[in-house]
Amino acid sequence: MAEFECRLKQYRLFQNMTQEQLAARVGVRRETIMRLEKAQYNPSLKLAVDISRAVGVPIEEIFLFP
Amino acid sequence: MKKNEKLFWTGCGIFCVAALLASICYAVVCNDSRLVTPVDLGGYTFIPQDLPMILSVLLLCGYVFALVFTLCVQKKRAGAEPDRTRRLNPKLGLLGLLGFLGFLGFWSYPARGDVTPFVFFLFFGFFGFFYEGKMSGTFMDERFRENAARAQLISYKICFSIMFIALLVLSQGRLFGSLEYTLIAVMIVLSIALALGIFLPEYLLYRYDHDETLDED
Repeated sequence: MAEFECRLKQYRLFQNMTQEQLAARVGVRRETIMRLEKAQYNPSLKLAVDISRAVGVPIEEIFLFP
Repeated sequence: MKKNEKLFWTGCGIFCVAALLASICYAVVCNDSRLVTPVDLGGYTFIPQDLPMILSVLLLCGYVFALVFTLCVQKKRAGAEPDRTRRLNPKLGLLGLLGFLGFLGFWSYPARGDVTPFVFFLFFGFFGFFYEGKMSGTFMDERFRENAARAQLISYKICFSIMFIALLVLSQGRLFGSLEYTLIAVMIVLSIALALGIFLPEYLLYRYDHDETLDED
């Protein structure tokens, strides 16, 4: 799996959202959001776009690839 | 199933069983117990007096078939959640204990030359129902589907590797110097490998999904 840095947690907290709420908005399980925040799961393009729309931040600012 | 439907199916069932009992009584009293005692179907010739027995058996079979079909359709309609795993009771995993029936083969082969019980080792795969039951009703998001595909791929690789290696070794045909023993060993290995192929995807999927402690928000 490609290594990357994920800043989802800080943007999510900035939006005052819980993992549960974000998961419900993008149609995944809370565990998936948790793994994403730990950069342990490489999401599909669709999920990345959905997340970026949900937190209102561009994809490249959430997922940082070296 | 609604109450009216339950009453309908119960009534039909009682009618079918009553018809069967009546035709058995008729066959015993008036028809020399034909079709009640075991019959050699090779030399069977139809006589009109057999008709009640034949019709009542067909009626009962039709009833059972219709009932099973109706229950399946209703269950499918009730549990139509395409994004969730099917609902199962983890206790169904106990069906895996049926796999121990395979050991009957070690008795039946020397006693009667019957090797069929060895196939029962396949039932060990039902232990997978335990893990499937633990994950029943789980929402299948993209990570879950990826994990499921990964688990299946790994377990099939393991399963086919075991089968390939075992066949490679056993195809020498020299197990205890007997070809029969070799074929029995092949049967056992294939049954157990297939059981592993049934069990392992569920187990691995469960492990992939639960391998880390979940953080609370």
